[in-house]
Parts: sequence; structure tokens; C-alpha cells
Amino acid sequence: MSEPAALKIDDLHKSFGSHKVIKGVSMEAQKGEVIAILGASGSGKSTFLRCINLLETPNSGDIYLAGEKMRMTKNRHGDTVPEDIRQVERMRARLAMVFQGFNLWSHMTVMENVLEGPLYVQKTPKAEAREKAKALLAKVGLSDRADYYPAHLSGGQQQRVAIARALAMDPDVMLFDEPTSALDPELVGEVLGVMRDLADEGRTMLVVTHEMGFARDISTKTVFLHKGEVCEEGPPAQLFANPQTPEFQAFLSRMN
Amino acid sequence: MMETILAWIPLDIALIAENFDRFMYGVWITLNLTFLALLLGGLLAIPMAIARASKHPIFNPLVQTYTYVFRGTPLLVQTYLIYYGVGQFDVIRNSWLWDPILSSAWWCALIAFTLNTAAYTTELLRGAIADTPTGEVEAAIATGHSYRSRMRRIILPSAFRRAIPAYSNEVIFMLHGSVIASTITLQDILGVGRWLNGRYYLAYEGFITAAALYFLIVLCITWAFRWFERRYLRHLVRRTESADTDTPPAPAT
Repeated sequence: MSEPAALKIDDLHKSFGSHKVIKGVSMEAQKGEVIAILGASGSGKSTFLRCINLLETPNSGDIYLAGEKMRMTKNRHGDTVPEDIRQVERMRARLAMVFQGFNLWSHMTVMENVLEGPLYVQKTPKAEAREKAKALLAKVGLSDRADYYPAHLSGGQQQRVAIARALAMDPDVMLFDEPTSALDPELVGEVLGVMRDLADEGRTMLVVTHEMGFARDISTKTVFLHKGEVCEEGPPAQLFANPQTPEFQAFLSRMN
Repeated sequence: MMETILAWIPLDIALIAENFDRFMYGVWITLNLTFLALLLGGLLAIPMAIARASKHPIFNPLVQTYTYVFRGTPLLVQTYLIYYGVGQFDVIRNSWLWDPILSSAWWCALIAFTLNTAAYTTELLRGAIADTPTGEVEAAIATGHSYRSRMRRIILPSAFRRAIPAYSNEVIFMLHGSVIASTITLQDILGVGRWLNGRYYLAYEGFITAAALYFLIVLCITWAFRWFERRYLRHLVRRTESADTDTPPAPAT
């Protein structure tokens, strides 16, 4: 245990009003691990992911990024809030996120989307950021689309730009929130291909997904969430071959 | 040839030509009032729109009251209140505000127009800011942008672009509203038309010339906005379904 986990989440709870969505989920990703998070809709898997970079503020629980704890405190209404928003912003920049709906900035070209974070969050010198952005667009196979606007690309292309945008931040951990769910079936493959390459490079990734194939073949660990709790987790080979709980069995039979 | 055509037109072209300089001066007054008011009003509107859209606990109700009042009363009344009303107070007449500002019709018109267009522009921008796709704001948050920097880098540039078509209306309304300057002694385009009518009892010469001048200015404004839209709304042209980040399709379960 020389190096702290790339990402560690300890006993995370989240409710919307009286509705408890996450009921104490813990998770640990070592550097280079790819964790696939599965679950039926309503299982809280997207909410869990969104709590990690505080797009949703968890009610309780600790988040550590490479050993650094995200410091939270209570405000006068008793709600959990960040103690230091600057720290949260710094940590967010190290936790790049890829969304289901791509969420590219529609008024910016592909190149501008990829340059935004490096130039205006990390304050990277322009020439250096440009070189890197070009390389990343080449990596996701979109060098010839650098000057296009997002609306002029297919869904699969937009998602690959979103992945390039996330990579441009040199993130410690990448969060994928159902990255292929909004895509036409014939476009899913190109996005999964890019994600497979990232996994092979040793990127640390948390992937909320409905792609059983991706979980089975690519992830180093698969977690099945059910009603806001970890129902089963383990190496995918073992998990898929031998589901222990009736919930996961039922889920698998529905997905196949 | 030229003379026969001129004789056929039921207007005293010579009179208009004779007073062409006056009309050009009128154009200058109309344009400087309109565009200065739009510029200053626009600058005021940006922070007010942000306060409105972010539902700031103190500034939002204040700004909302302001926009209610200025959108709820006629520009003519606002102009009269500032031009005729404010001068009734000795405090103001004796202050530095009186000379050279509040005793001047031009300044009073500029203040009234600025406050009026600021109110309309605030609400217009507030709507555009509120319409920023949630996903794009979340992406900015997830990238590590602070509140200020995502406002400056993502939300405002996107909102300004979306506001362009509606703002062209505001510009045209402000131009037409600026005729009110002529009711407080200013020789704007309509002011010159009224002067001509008053002096020669020739209504058409003054008013048709004024109308034609306003029409030409609107034509230029429309062209300018068409150019702006082509330049800044390129990203909205030919939108594909999948690009509609507002409503991502339901997950395929």
C-alpha cells in the first residue's frame, strides 16, 4: 500500500428530498483500473457518478482523489456543502467526465471545445495546448473535423470529441456516464473502440454503462448497483459466469 | 427630363433638398441617441440579467422591480418625467447634475432611452441565459470552470448568440422610440420633419422624408443583423437530432 488509490469513495449517501437514491456506496479504483458500473434505471448509478465530481452534492460520504480528500462541511441549514469551492474545482479538473448527451459547447468548434479546459482552466500555453489537442483529435479519428461545430457531427463523432475534450485535461480518473446510450446502434462501436484504447493505455476509468460486452471484456472490476446499494462486485469473468444474487441474475437475463 | 419627373412627384423636392443639411443633422441626433442608449443600456443589462438569471437573493428582486416599472410605463412618460419632472426639485437644480446634464434635453433623452432599453435587454438576456442547455453548463462545471469563468467563457457567449435575433427587434424599437426626442425640443429626424411642417405647412415633405430616412436606417440595421446571424449563429444551422443536448434521448435499456 505505498500508493493511495487513484479514487476512493467511502460510504456515499445521497437523497433527493425524502427519496434515498444512494445508500452507502463505497468504491476504490487503483491506478489503471477500469470499473464498469451496472444497474437497472433508477438504481442510482448515474447519480453516484455525478456525486464524485459534485455535480450532485452527496449528503454524506468521503471522496479521495489520489489520497486527497474533498473537504466538505455543513452550512447553516445543515446541508452538506464544499468547504473550499476552489479545491472542488481543482479536483473536478482532474476528474474528467463524459456525458450521455455529449454536452459539447455548441457555439464552439471541435477544436475550441478540446482547447477550452487546457487554455482557460489549466492555463496551458496556447501552442502547447494546440499541439496536444491536434494529437488527441487524431487519436479519436477526427483530425479532419477540427473546424466543425458539434451540431454538424454525428452522435458518435460528438462523443469522440467529448472524449478528446476530457483527455485534454490529462485527468487522473475519467468518469463515463452512459457514454453510448444516446447513440444509434451503428455508432456505438466507434465510441467503445476509443474507450477500449484508453483502457489499454492504463487510464483509470469509471464507466456507467448498459454495454454488457464492454463490462465483460474491458473492465477490471464490475459493480452491480441495485436500489442505491452495491449488490455484487468483482472481476467480470467471475461475476458474469456466476451471478450470486437473484437481482443480478434477473438483470442479466433482461439485458441478454 | 429630370424636371418633368420632379414636376410629376407631388412633393416639393427643392424644399427638401434645401433643408437636406437639417435632415442630416437630424439623422446624426437620432443615431447618436439610439446607439449610445443601446450601448449603455446593453452594458447595464449584462450584470442585471446575470442577477436575474442566477436568482440573486438581493439584486434579483431589485432588478425585477426596475424592469417591471420601465417595461410597464410608456417611454414618452419616462422621458417627460426625467425632462420636466426632475427639474422641479431644488436639490437637483442646485446640484452638479443640473448643469450640464439634467438641464439638457439631449441628456434627458439619453438617460430615459438608456434606462428603457436596459430594462428590455435585461429580460431578453435573462431568458437567453436561462435557456443555456443544462448539459453544457454541467460540462463546464465538470471541466473545473469556476462560476465566473463558466459565465464568461460558456454561458454568456452562448446566450449572446441566442439573443441576436430578438435583440434586432429591440434595436429597431429603440430607433423608432427615439422619435420621442422630438417632443422635448430635440431636432432628431422627426424633429426636423415637424419643424418643416410647422414652418411651411407642408406635412408630406417633412414626414415622408423622415419616414424614408428611418426606413433606410432600419434597412441597414437589418443587414447588419443578418450578417451577425450568419457569422455568430453558424453553429445552429442545420442542427441534427443527436446534437440537441437539451433533451438527450432516453437510455436504451
